Amino acid sequence: MKMNWKRSAQWVVLVALVVCAGMAQAQEYPVATKTLKNGMKILVQPDPSIPNVALYTFYRIGSRNERPGTTGLSHFFEHIMFNGAKKYGPGDLDKVMEANGGSNNAYTTRNVTVYQDWFPRSALELIFDIEADRIQNLSFDPKKIESERGVVASERRSSVDGENEGVLSEQLWATAFIAHPYQWPVVGWMSDIEHWTMADLKHHFEMGYSPSNATMVVVGDVTPEEVFGLAEKYLEPIPSHAPPPPVTTVEPEQEGERRLVVHKAAELPLLMIAYHVPRTDNADFYALNVLRSILFQGESSRMYQRLVDKDQIALDVESEEELAFDPTLLVLYAQPKEGVDPAKCEKEIYEELERVANAPVSDQELEKAKNFRLAEFYRQVQTISGRANTIGSYEVFFGDYRKLFDAAKNYSGVTKEDVQRAAKKYFGANNRTVATLLPENEGKGKP
Amino acid sequence: MVVLVAAAMLMAGAAARGQNVKLPPHEKVVLPNGLTVLLLEKHSVPMVNITGIVKTGSMADPVGMEGLASTTAGLLRKGTKGRTAQQFSEVIDFIGGSFGADAGADYSSFSAEFLSKDTDKGLDLVADALLHPTFPQAEVDKLLAQSVDGVKAEKDSARDVIFDYYQAYLYGGKGYGRPTGGDEVSLKKIQRPEIVKFYETYYTPGNTILAVAGDFKTEEMKKKLEAVFGGWSGKAAPAVKTEAAGAVKGKRLLLVDKSDATQTYFAIGNVGISATDPDRTAVQVVNSVFGSRFTSMLNEALRVESGLTYGATSFFSMEKEPGPFAMFSFTRNETTEKAIDMALEVLKKLHTDGVSAEQLSSAKSYMKGQFPPSIETSGQLARVIARHEFYGLGDDEVNERDKRIDAVTRETAKRVIAKDFPLDNLVFVLIGKAADIAPSVKKFAEKQDAKEIAAPGFWGSGQ
Repeated sequence: MKMNWKRSAQWVVLVALVVCAGMAQAQEYPVATKTLKNGMKILVQPDPSIPNVALYTFYRIGSRNERPGTTGLSHFFEHIMFNGAKKYGPGDLDKVMEANGGSNNAYTTRNVTVYQDWFPRSALELIFDIEADRIQNLSFDPKKIESERGVVASERRSSVDGENEGVLSEQLWATAFIAHPYQWPVVGWMSDIEHWTMADLKHHFEMGYSPSNATMVVVGDVTPEEVFGLAEKYLEPIPSHAPPPPVTTVEPEQEGERRLVVHKAAELPLLMIAYHVPRTDNADFYALNVLRSILFQGESSRMYQRLVDKDQIALDVESEEELAFDPTLLVLYAQPKEGVDPAKCEKEIYEELERVANAPVSDQELEKAKNFRLAEFYRQVQTISGRANTIGSYEVFFGDYRKLFDAAKNYSGVTKEDVQRAAKKYFGANNRTVATLLPENEGKGKP
Repeated sequence: MVVLVAAAMLMAGAAARGQNVKLPPHEKVVLPNGLTVLLLEKHSVPMVNITGIVKTGSMADPVGMEGLASTTAGLLRKGTKGRTAQQFSEVIDFIGGSFGADAGADYSSFSAEFLSKDTDKGLDLVADALLHPTFPQAEVDKLLAQSVDGVKAEKDSARDVIFDYYQAYLYGGKGYGRPTGGDEVSLKKIQRPEIVKFYETYYTPGNTILAVAGDFKTEEMKKKLEAVFGGWSGKAAPAVKTEAAGAVKGKRLLLVDKSDATQTYFAIGNVGISATDPDRTAVQVVNSVFGSRFTSMLNEALRVESGLTYGATSFFSMEKEPGPFAMFSFTRNETTEKAIDMALEVLKKLHTDGVSAEQLSSAKSYMKGQFPPSIETSGQLARVIARHEFYGLGDDEVNERDKRIDAVTRETAKRVIAKDFPLDNLVFVLIGKAADIAPSVKKFAEKQDAKEIAAPGFWGSGQ
């Protein structure tokens, strides 16, 4: 049974693919938009099929906007944004929201902090009141902050330190990036969680939480008119201020393989391989996703067939790419079976990557990848909540929600040559960072 | 764009505004071969979901061969009369579809999803897996080996296995205490003949429910299903008895040693209620106050007020027979005793103070307000109607849900707290660093047991 808590651990896993592909046949959803005078943009997609509403607010601030000493602050705000403001004091936000049938959560990535409210339509005005209160008048009660520091430390111990994947992934990013802020973990280093100051908090809030730095997406049993009316009443009067300063650091090109090993008490080893890839909003985005589908999606994919099915050296193979404002990582992951040297999995993965770089994929594989993306599109937009997240992600990471409906064209335009070219371009040995976790059992001593 | 928006607004205006959602109309047909078919149209996205329940689960696993039902389900797509495992994957992947199967204690189940334009192909694949699996030896060996390693991989994460240990200890390794997915020892005992026998005995039309929901026309779909599944035959499946367990008497504690742990995970509780318990709604309302939402008493105390943990929760797992009730949380090694003390105090407070009018009203609004998104997709709807059919629950379970919630009073709450929330009889299961926490948790129970996380299984050796 997985925990499903708010302010939850979503920063660990992150979007294999929040974004998806509308294909040629993908249906469009009507979206009404309005930009308030203070610069905050509101997107509304009415859908009365259930009497509920999903309201997502995307702030363009994440761990990339932090610095050594304050790592994890963006994620910490994901917590203290619930801990009291002027009208709704400590604990009131959750109490009032739940008493009115609503619930909430939030997630933080290296790039954005997203607040999610799910509620019956009768609570619509209340939610606007709550959102306006906390953006405008967040309280910084030292006692609540100390208590929440403990909560986040517990979250870190549970989701990073207590999970092999969490430990290894953190080391991988820290090694693959030497200059750019993507190198530190979203949850923050433990010593930073323990030491950030009140001044750090206030500065971070001032930096990230201007209405002009936010985009709100409302999907469900509402009309654009009522949403825009409430936005004008509650949000428009909030003054805007400067957005976070641009992240100017550019990660220098990686010019040789980097490797790291983690020795840890564990039942099974673990392998992760990362390649630098461009930011989300770039021309290769679609080709890379098609390539990932061919290699990793479904039990007929090349990697599954080779490592899990045929040679039976891995339990699982996966790939992951975050939506990102800056050049990021495409991470490959393999869970070796017991007694299998991770190096063996590594070798087979490279062989498959070479194969896809050296010869074109088949028509059947290309078609399959595109069909996968179409089905995935429908899976993501079939709930009001999934649709709010998808519309918001396109708006924020591609600069325009309408790109969601162009994704169709963009995917069907991907050719076999594009796929091969992308494989050649990104899967080079010099561009990779390899992380291995090796079980170290008691009594055997350190190697 | 403007035109589209206007059209959508008209739709919004016409829709019912009340919460009180109802199940969309659906139909039940029993084919001459005994197969129960449920059909529910939903056209919001061009997809179809088929959820199947085979009314026998891991309770039919022979003792010592736990994981048989789950292995049988997992092998359905791994080779059929018409397709090898690889060919099956190739076809389902090519249409962007999915097919997954597993077994729980009460029943085995599968779920398939595909675009409605691929309905014929999708139905053909489902029928192939359900009616014609061949269980090739190589695939049997492969899956069993993967499952054994899967158990080991799970043990690397305390939160992934705490309830396996809890359930095993609570039920004394019997009934619901046997691992549905098997363990490192039992999986190795499973052989192909037992799998074939399990399949032939229990995968019969009379023992199966098919719930189909999504973008189709009922009459057309009915004809297709009759054509595809009408010829399926099989003998009546024997009934499997689930050993019902009474509540554990006294207090006992199992400490599972994970030597590298920096936090202790704990589950505390006793045997709870069944899926058809007449008090299930009241129990859920009280549990919403007590532990199943963010502002619950447990989470308020352990997280919001003290910062001891990232989350504290409680749940009732409701099955054919009374399933487990547990309080669950995790905390630093050093605060283990304090957090458990606090959880027990909160439980005591529930018994002494009951629930206030304000708490009751909030829990009711919350449960009603959060419900509609749980029956939003075709997949969710198919699961709900299939589950109702299996447990003999009617549509009222959804359609009358708000009314039943509203009918719960403080007096009802008081009654179910005394009856269904344990206080003096408790089972504790902790996964953590024994060297650090063992002395401080001795006080919680007279009977103490210990186990190493690397030791095979979730039960036995040292208990």
